Amino acid sequence: MWRRTLTTGAAALLVPMVFGTAMAADGIRAIIVDADGALKDPEAAFWDEADPVMVSMQAQMVAKPLHGEPSVTEVSVRAAHNGHWIGLLVEWETPEPRDTIRLDDFGDQMAVQFPLDAGASPMMGHDGAAVNIVQWRAALQRDIAEGEPEIRDLYPYALVDVYPDEVLSLTDARAYTGALGLDNPVARPFDSPVLDQMAEGWGTLTVRPMQIADGWGVWKDGRWRVAVSRPMRPILEGDPDLSPGTRRAAFAVWDGNNDEVGGRKSWSGWVDVQIEE
Amino acid sequence: MPSVYNWQLGREMDYPFEGVRPKRQFAMIFDTNKCIACQTCTVACKTAWTSGRGQEYMLWNNVETKPYGYYPLGWDVNILDKHGVQDMDGPVYEGKTLFEAAPADKVVLGYTPKDEDYAFPNIGEDDCTGEMDQGAWMQMPHMQWMYYLPRICNHCTYPACLSACPRQVIYKREEDGIVLLDQNRCRGYRECVTGCPYKKVFFNPMTRVSEKCIGCYPAIENNRQTQCTITCIGKIRLQGFMATPDEAREDNPMDYIVHYAKIAKPLYPQFGLEPNTYYIPPVHVPPKYLRQMFGWGVEEAIDTYKRASEDPKLLGAMLLFGATPEIIHRFKLEAGKAVGYDDKGAELVRVPMVEPTFLRDAFDGRFNAYRTNVT
Repeated sequence: MWRRTLTTGAAALLVPMVFGTAMAADGIRAIIVDADGALKDPEAAFWDEADPVMVSMQAQMVAKPLHGEPSVTEVSVRAAHNGHWIGLLVEWETPEPRDTIRLDDFGDQMAVQFPLDAGASPMMGHDGAAVNIVQWRAALQRDIAEGEPEIRDLYPYALVDVYPDEVLSLTDARAYTGALGLDNPVARPFDSPVLDQMAEGWGTLTVRPMQIADGWGVWKDGRWRVAVSRPMRPILEGDPDLSPGTRRAAFAVWDGNNDEVGGRKSWSGWVDVQIEE
Repeated sequence: MPSVYNWQLGREMDYPFEGVRPKRQFAMIFDTNKCIACQTCTVACKTAWTSGRGQEYMLWNNVETKPYGYYPLGWDVNILDKHGVQDMDGPVYEGKTLFEAAPADKVVLGYTPKDEDYAFPNIGEDDCTGEMDQGAWMQMPHMQWMYYLPRICNHCTYPACLSACPRQVIYKREEDGIVLLDQNRCRGYRECVTGCPYKKVFFNPMTRVSEKCIGCYPAIENNRQTQCTITCIGKIRLQGFMATPDEAREDNPMDYIVHYAKIAKPLYPQFGLEPNTYYIPPVHVPPKYLRQMFGWGVEEAIDTYKRASEDPKLLGAMLLFGATPEIIHRFKLEAGKAVGYDDKGAELVRVPMVEPTFLRDAFDGRFNAYRTNVT
């Protein structure tokens, strides 16, 4: 264990020297860029203009089930804005992307959290102090990019005689559709692989009725690059104020390769985000 | 952690929530001696509730052969292995429950099944414990044995699935104690699948959230027994509402069988969930095995069951199995019949205590033929 800690520590020291990467204590700087709309393209050239900041990720050791050994221990974050939308590009190492969900398959996810109340806990806020959580899900992105899965995409040898929706009216068959019939937002994407959510503490995470945030991810060479974006100024009640000034954000990552889901994640504390005028 | 009273264990135990019992508790009794594993219950449940997309593999109700049948594969031996040897001689359970045995980072001791564990719903079907040697003879308990174990969600008083969910998506209904999973709020973390020792919560890969037996609540709300119960051709099931021992009513057939006659036992009570399905143990199986599965008192239960004809009330209660699709709240014996009533006191069914017999002349003069009495 001490050996691993030393190795990680040494690597962390080396990173800024080799790549000129800043650590989270310096804060993230959201630079002004010339780009229209949501800043959700992780391969856009403007990200090169923003300095990456390394954010340390911690084990989730507060709410059960605890998760003592998350596989992602740091993420690189860049930020940019165009006066209307702010974007954050979050990158982390993972040997292969996981975007299929089955009983024992867990998809990759990443979330950026903004406080609505200054004193909100970095761990999903607390009672009376809400946070906005923008969460990207690899499985929702796959649905958009490649189409929604059929059962034989997930289980090639599944045998099915007939489904209710093939023989019953839409209304009668709805009872057999479970969470899909209820439009549970984790079942299928609306228009984006990103969920715009709010929380006031553990177990309260709720998808907001109006979805504004957006994003996209690209996995290449053992690394996810995921950009999420949302309007800088509040439009609806519950939107965070991300207008120029010093704001804060926190991060969470779920590695499907490590069966991470829900509270089984790595997370960061609040990090300052300097949003340029 | 709050302390709650588990009457099946005869003691207080740790549970993450305060102990609040429902107004009445959904319960079911299975007579394992009568089950032939025809799977009519399984098909009735399947066609009623789980024929949708993503539910292909799901069996909210299943019937497995013991000791080598499991759905999912090895569900009980896996959790028993993790639970370890526990002291359970009764009348007070001295061992640890799954909540008390939980590691520090979890709410309840459990395990997550693999996808392929659900691929063998019929594994071990009709497999006997071993081969009969030359010169073997019939004895009780049997030298080699197997029996059928029908299973649904136990709608536990202290559900592990409910306690394991970090979002409190699973809830126990105040009106009937049925445990339900909110399809709108679930986010598919699968902690419930891991936490339920009976593995009766299932993950739907198409909807990406978990699902479970709903206790046929639309039927229950209309005073009808569950689909698996009313379709059972062997009449091995009785579904109704059951009280705790201190509030048991002698005229409730469920209470009479479980609390008065004490012939039906909970499934793996040592887990500490206070499950609300009860099993009349198979009479031919070695008690050592049955004690592990149904707790202490199985020998007495089998003995009482075998002598049911000496207790008219017990016999009457057992004759109500499969006698009506309605839920029987009260029963009484009257003029050689067991009579079942609904919650308003209206008569539902009248079952003769002795099967009526008719003797016909051997020769049928109308057709000029001798009768062969084969049916």
